[in-house]
Amino acid sequence: MSSSDSNSSSVDDPNPNPKPLDNQLETLNLEQGSDSIVIQNEDDEEGRQQDQGSSLNGSLNVNSDNHEPDDRIGLVRNVVWRRTNSEMEVDVNGPSSPSSSGYAGERGSSGVSEDDEIQEVAKDSALHGGFDSQAAWLPGKRHVDEDDASISWRKRKKHFFILSHSGKPIYSRYGDEHKLAGFSATLQAIISFVENGGDRVKLVRAGKHQVVFLVKGPIYLVCISCTEEPYESLKGQLELIYGQMILILTKSVNRCFEKNPKFDMTPLLGGTDVVFSSLIHSFSWNPATFLHAYTCLPLAYGTRQAAGAILHDVADSGVLFAILMCKHKVVSLVGAQKASLHPDDMLLLSNFIMSSESFRTSESFSPICLPRYNPMAFLYAYVHYLDVDTYLMLLTTSSDAFYHLKDCRIRIEMVLLKSNVLSEVQRSMLDGEMHVEDLPGDPLSRFGSASHLGEHQEPTDSPGRFREPFAGIGGPAGLWHFIYRSIYLEQYVSSEFSAPINSPQQQKRLYRAYQKIYASMHDNGNGPHKTQFRRDENYVLLCWVTPDFELYAAFDPLADKGLAIKTCNRVCQWVKDVENEIFLLGASPFSW
Amino acid sequence: MGMATANSGGSEGMELCIFDLRRGQQEGQELDKILFFFPADLPFSTQLSVIGLSEGLITFTRIFSPEAACELIEAERHSHVFYEAEPDIWMVMVVEKSKEAEAIWRIDALREVLKEIHSLFMMFYGPVREMLEKDPSGGLTRAHLYPFVMDYLSDFLVGKKTQLPSFRDCLKEFGTVQMLTVGREAAIEVQSLVRVLESGAGATHLLFTNLVSRLACVHDAFTCMDDTINLFAYAIQRLSPRALSSGASSWSYLRRGSTPSHVVVGPTFATVSVSDQFHHLPGNSPSQDNSYHVKRPLQHNRWSKGKDGFLVTDIWGTETGSLIPSTPTIWLQQTGERMYLCAYQYKSLTLILLVPLSSILNGEQGVSLVKQQVLENASLKILKVEEKLSKGWGGENAYHVSGYRYLLIDDDRNVSRASPPAKVTTLAKESLLAMSKLREEVDLEKSRSKWDNADRDKDLEICIRVKNNAWVIARTTRGKELYMVLERANETLLYASDAFEKFSDRYCGGAFSLD
Repeated sequence: MSSSDSNSSSVDDPNPNPKPLDNQLETLNLEQGSDSIVIQNEDDEEGRQQDQGSSLNGSLNVNSDNHEPDDRIGLVRNVVWRRTNSEMEVDVNGPSSPSSSGYAGERGSSGVSEDDEIQEVAKDSALHGGFDSQAAWLPGKRHVDEDDASISWRKRKKHFFILSHSGKPIYSRYGDEHKLAGFSATLQAIISFVENGGDRVKLVRAGKHQVVFLVKGPIYLVCISCTEEPYESLKGQLELIYGQMILILTKSVNRCFEKNPKFDMTPLLGGTDVVFSSLIHSFSWNPATFLHAYTCLPLAYGTRQAAGAILHDVADSGVLFAILMCKHKVVSLVGAQKASLHPDDMLLLSNFIMSSESFRTSESFSPICLPRYNPMAFLYAYVHYLDVDTYLMLLTTSSDAFYHLKDCRIRIEMVLLKSNVLSEVQRSMLDGEMHVEDLPGDPLSRFGSASHLGEHQEPTDSPGRFREPFAGIGGPAGLWHFIYRSIYLEQYVSSEFSAPINSPQQQKRLYRAYQKIYASMHDNGNGPHKTQFRRDENYVLLCWVTPDFELYAAFDPLADKGLAIKTCNRVCQWVKDVENEIFLLGASPFSW
Repeated sequence: MGMATANSGGSEGMELCIFDLRRGQQEGQELDKILFFFPADLPFSTQLSVIGLSEGLITFTRIFSPEAACELIEAERHSHVFYEAEPDIWMVMVVEKSKEAEAIWRIDALREVLKEIHSLFMMFYGPVREMLEKDPSGGLTRAHLYPFVMDYLSDFLVGKKTQLPSFRDCLKEFGTVQMLTVGREAAIEVQSLVRVLESGAGATHLLFTNLVSRLACVHDAFTCMDDTINLFAYAIQRLSPRALSSGASSWSYLRRGSTPSHVVVGPTFATVSVSDQFHHLPGNSPSQDNSYHVKRPLQHNRWSKGKDGFLVTDIWGTETGSLIPSTPTIWLQQTGERMYLCAYQYKSLTLILLVPLSSILNGEQGVSLVKQQVLENASLKILKVEEKLSKGWGGENAYHVSGYRYLLIDDDRNVSRASPPAKVTTLAKESLLAMSKLREEVDLEKSRSKWDNADRDKDLEICIRVKNNAWVIARTTRGKELYMVLERANETLLYASDAFEKFSDRYCGGAFSLD
């Protein structure tokens, strides 16, 4: 895996005055303009417009094989040249460029293909991470050698594309963007063809495939998938990908397109493949991506209070948000008065930090944009890893706050160490979330009293993690798993996977089933349905939506309906009993 | 009031096109692709852009999904429903969406309309492709398609509005036959009639009853259900006593019981609007050309009851040299055999006789002979069967089950049974919308398992409690589907499931019971 250097400032060279994005973009724009690439681009553009021209005659020529042989050779040659060039640019400008957009860049190109989504359902040996177990997933972009002429490329189960309104490729999950120029132009042609008819295309369905379109000003996003996910879920994923892009560049990137519709955005995102691929990977394990809620690391109430107190202290000194996270779970979170942090922004921010290797190696100060908070402006994030999984993010509006935030971090780190918060965090990571086997109140449950969560349990004495593996059948009444989402807190808790949901495939399948029932419950203009019971060959799923919470529970497909309902009630009670430990209370971003 | 209406004409209503991907591949020849377009008065550029988009997406989707090309485009304001009727012959329907106008569609129901148009066309004229091969200019095909589809659509047109099956029709199933449950006595009579018919002319026959009340098919001697469905659809549309007597179309699927506010398309108006359309036919479409002799089996008011009880029509013209109307002929879908279509009506009972052309050597004379035989041997039996069936018929609400609104579909046999439409209209809009959505979900699951080929008979049970406290329930098992809306408030999931089980036990032979 090749790792081009971070664009974020390192300790030794903090960049106290990052240029506003507009300047950055202008710089890049100029660079591009002075480059001979642009000539080639314009040739491409013409080729594409010819296609469009004929489409105006009424027939939209969408033929992936319609490249003239000469064209294709030309395309490939140029792409090779361009690619070299762009990598050179990264090498030269990467480490110290003041025009950095502030992300830690890394262009992984591993040949490992465990994330190939070819026939993934049937493939038992696939190594997808599910929910928390993402160990086997390797970040970065794969199959860069493919393009739309490759059979393997066509058979990938889920494609994501970002392109500009002039049809220029910006990002593709698989394959080299530059080689996909023709394909990208086709997508653009479809969108603009429908737009010219005074409409806006949302979805195309063909057999098991769905093509989902999302137009965001000059940015077009497309997903082509045969994963059976509902339209609403795929559209939500495109929204998040767009949000991730905004997080890196802010929405002011639109101005570049106003000035030059043929603006090539790829250099601006160079090296961020890993951020997008990690986000896309999370679409198959992280419930936050469809629940629009975040999850907390389970901690004793006092421990979280201690962490919150010190974060509060710094928040009073000009920090907009202070967030302490362990992997994708929140330890504590504090916002300045009236500032609220949307769960989607937290998802995108933590994905950005976690997927960029360079944040791990040194403290960083990096411009980022929170799309839900203010899509037009950069904030500045001071990021520091306190241990291998736990990191602190201090967000500010001031571009020269690095040293102040560094001081804040040192204070926070000291307090956290002194009050044992960090060791508690590590212990909690080992213990994991709620275990369905621990569901209290059932005399039949073997583990009824073994919970590591609960007020009567000493947090230091957690038998949960010493639980012996057993060929279990999950919790009582065939309960296999549940997700509880508190609407008011905008937080969710997802139980640990238990037998028989062991393999990553099974976890991913369950994740997709939740996603589907979520969409089914919310797919309605008039607010969500109240209850849903769904039984198929894999599960019984029960969903219960109230004004306060949503519960999603998975049972054995042969589970008894009456018992399942009772069990759901007990789960809700259980969650309420331990809410002090599993949720961040009183500090909800929206509860000010 | 029932169906969603949309303005027809311009880009604001429904558009329907039929095109052949193998034609018009040269630049400048694109018009040649179009075999049918509604509304015909749209400028060619607009017609071509609809077809261009469709063609583009068919090609595009084949990149990823070679086995199944584009089926649907959902845009913000329109849905484009695709149906590949024959290889490379596509039908695309574009409908406008509108919440206010209740134009909320279930895609599969719209596709069923396209399917029905095509299979009825095939029944009367054979495959489109064959017709195109016979006359490569396409003129013959266009000359047939235009009047045929327009006659078909006239049932959906009310003034300038198009009425298509919407979410309010979620408890109906197109492309199925609704079977009448026959009492033992009546069944014996039917059997004895069937024996007489079988021993006689060697004709295949269908026995329909109660064409007026969305009909029930009592007996058919077909092995191919598709043919039964086609004849059933045609019989309701054009042969039912109501269609004959009032001359009005009686689109039974879409008719809303006996709601008096429902105005049926007047035949005069329909004819006028149809001929209106023809004035705007594309120049390259010679449907006005008299050189093509086109029969219009879907024209209104062209069937009447003869003195002998057999229905007669002049649609097929008269036999050369005589004034006797020619007997209509149809193609059987499965065997490709050509049959004479004879319909006999006695009160509410309609008997359809299909006589193979090959078995009759001397044309109309032979057909008359067969008819005569039927009258001689079977008229008494027919009278008895009618009597028994009318007596046993529980009326419009015969299949109403109090407290339930349901639709039961047997996919293997293509039969369905449903709550009477008048009862379905009592449901709240929210419940119907939820059921329509739920059906779409099940439609998707069904089509997926079709592509997976794995377990075709997917077992699925979904019970949703809607915001208005109604329960909408779907269960599919072993090729059967049961949909149900229960609106009684304050029911628990267990209560709803229990009610469902009871229904299944009593009316479905326990087919949907889990235990």
